[in-house]
Amino acid sequence: MQELVGRLAQLDPDAGAAVKVIAYFDRLVEGHAGLEPIVRGAAVLAGCAARLVDVDRRVQVRVDARGKVCDEIGLPEPDWPSAPLVPDGPAVLWLEHGGEPGPVDAMVLERAASAARGVLERTRGRSSVALDDPASVEVLFDATVAAQTRLTVARRLGIAENAQVKAVAPVGEPGWIESDAACWPARGRSTGARLGVGAVGGVLDLPASWVGARAAARFTAMDTEQDPGPRVVHADQLGGLAVLADVIGADTEPITDVRAVEQARTDAPWVLATLVAVAASPSLRAAATALLIHHSTLQERLGHVEHVLGWPIRDPQGKLRLQLAIAMWRLHRQS
Amino acid sequence: MTDVIGPPVAYDPELDAAMSVMKDKLPDFGAIMARTGDLGAVVREVREVLADAIAEISGTKGSDITRGGAYTVTEREVPGPVGAPDVPLLICLPANASAPVGLLYNIHGGGMIGGDAHTGLPHYLDMADDLGAALVSVDYRLAPEHPHPAPVEDCYAGLVWTVEHADELGIDPDRIVVMGGSAGGGLAAATALLARDRGGPALIGQLLACPMLDDHNDSYSARQMAGLGVWDHAANGLGWSALLGSAQGGPDVSPYAAPARATDLSGLPPAFIDVGSAETFRDEAVEYASRIWQAGGSAELHVWPGGFHGFSGAVPQAAVSQAANAAPRNWLRRIFKA
Repeated sequence: MQELVGRLAQLDPDAGAAVKVIAYFDRLVEGHAGLEPIVRGAAVLAGCAARLVDVDRRVQVRVDARGKVCDEIGLPEPDWPSAPLVPDGPAVLWLEHGGEPGPVDAMVLERAASAARGVLERTRGRSSVALDDPASVEVLFDATVAAQTRLTVARRLGIAENAQVKAVAPVGEPGWIESDAACWPARGRSTGARLGVGAVGGVLDLPASWVGARAAARFTAMDTEQDPGPRVVHADQLGGLAVLADVIGADTEPITDVRAVEQARTDAPWVLATLVAVAASPSLRAAATALLIHHSTLQERLGHVEHVLGWPIRDPQGKLRLQLAIAMWRLHRQS
Repeated sequence: MTDVIGPPVAYDPELDAAMSVMKDKLPDFGAIMARTGDLGAVVREVREVLADAIAEISGTKGSDITRGGAYTVTEREVPGPVGAPDVPLLICLPANASAPVGLLYNIHGGGMIGGDAHTGLPHYLDMADDLGAALVSVDYRLAPEHPHPAPVEDCYAGLVWTVEHADELGIDPDRIVVMGGSAGGGLAAATALLARDRGGPALIGQLLACPMLDDHNDSYSARQMAGLGVWDHAANGLGWSALLGSAQGGPDVSPYAAPARATDLSGLPPAFIDVGSAETFRDEAVEYASRIWQAGGSAELHVWPGGFHGFSGAVPQAAVSQAANAAPRNWLRRIFKA
């Protein structure tokens, strides 16, 4: 068979060779053969290694010209003959040889891709080349995935190679990618959720943007009386607070000031909102306005909470200490 | 005999696909038999087609049997059976062995009517090389010009000579396996029976690949797969009638011609038997293994799903062929170590 196929591969792409290639893959399809026999068929008929890589479906199969499956799989060379799974789609099937294409290459690729498409749709559902694909978006956030693969996925999602994009991390939901003009997946966008927004950069910067967005999300709140604070936080506005996000995890022991904030919060329903307003406002008058209370009422309340907290919050130093305590309290809550 | 025969076993999809590509390279014995008349003419044509097909499939043409100098290869004529001509042996010895090596004594296939000592040799030398073993391939006389017992007696004579000259050849006489595929598998089984019954060479194993064992040619699988594959019911009948003439299927066939006829399968060396589930020989191979076990013997049996006759040599790339080609090597390693 090896010799025979070798000769087949050297033949002119006449009717005889084409008919054989077609018959070969038709038989595989009739026999409900899986992906490996299909890729092996491409390899032995073309007389070189062949591979199928479908990033969306997390499928990769590589078989050498002798029919042996190889686990090691590098990047495809740009001059290898290749075929998409669907017309105009990205390449998923490659014959691993450069130079002049063999006479049956095109036929082998076409028939093998068609057979593989049938198997993939039968066993793994329809292709998700549609732009709404959370799994592909996850791939772009994953720094451990090869850069070339991430660029391929981005292209497939319709993200231009030079696009300026950022990751968005809603609390408790899958993230998405935004540019000035669009977002991916289009339907992934939830309104009303607390959001961390990552720094803007290129496609390959998305993993870092995603890490920043997730950190920023930990500083968010629902912007209600029970959970006062900003609903959207941008990573590039965190400054040194980002360092706090790094060091405070699930196992970190809260410092005294954090426990004091928690203690004060349970003291009266208005306490947390008051503390957040004071920490976030340029003046006590502005804080009173934000809280819809009279300035003197605020002064009375602050006297009470300063006692509970154990430090003054109306001087600059105390206000910084309060801001840090609230930030850390949120991190503890969401670590 | 059952009246109702089930549908043929489907070929493994990869084998089926390869078969569709190779089809016009494979002999169609049914067509040949319909076209020609007498047995002699059929045999001549079959032999020609078989030689081409086997050479094509096994890569005999133009291959380097010394494996780049790793083996020294000599052809020798050694004394044949009493009153018969000398038997040519193809002797392949590891070039750099420092101690006596094990031996694969190979008996080629070809339906009792075709093939020669070179048939399938690269494949068998691969196996020998894996083990660091020698390989001797016997060029036995073929039917119908030389009916039973000529083929099996040549095989046995070659084996006896080889063992008697083990010292000279650098072969360890305590590590000898007889092996063969198809007709060669049948002859290897018969040679093992002869060695047992005549107190001949002690063998440590018999490797019977898709063996041709039963001249009755009427097993369930022979009828189920009639008209299909490279060695179907009709071709098999031709091979047996060439070997046995009118005695085929009758009461007086020797077990040394058709080992399935042996009433006693005890005291034989451990057997490795394999066969495809979609071929003529399936049931006789399974039966032979069962009867070895029933006699208290050792046999390792593999029935490869969807395999046609000779699939693992014809389509080595297929996943099932890769498994089928690994199994005998694995068995040989265990046999040679023991």
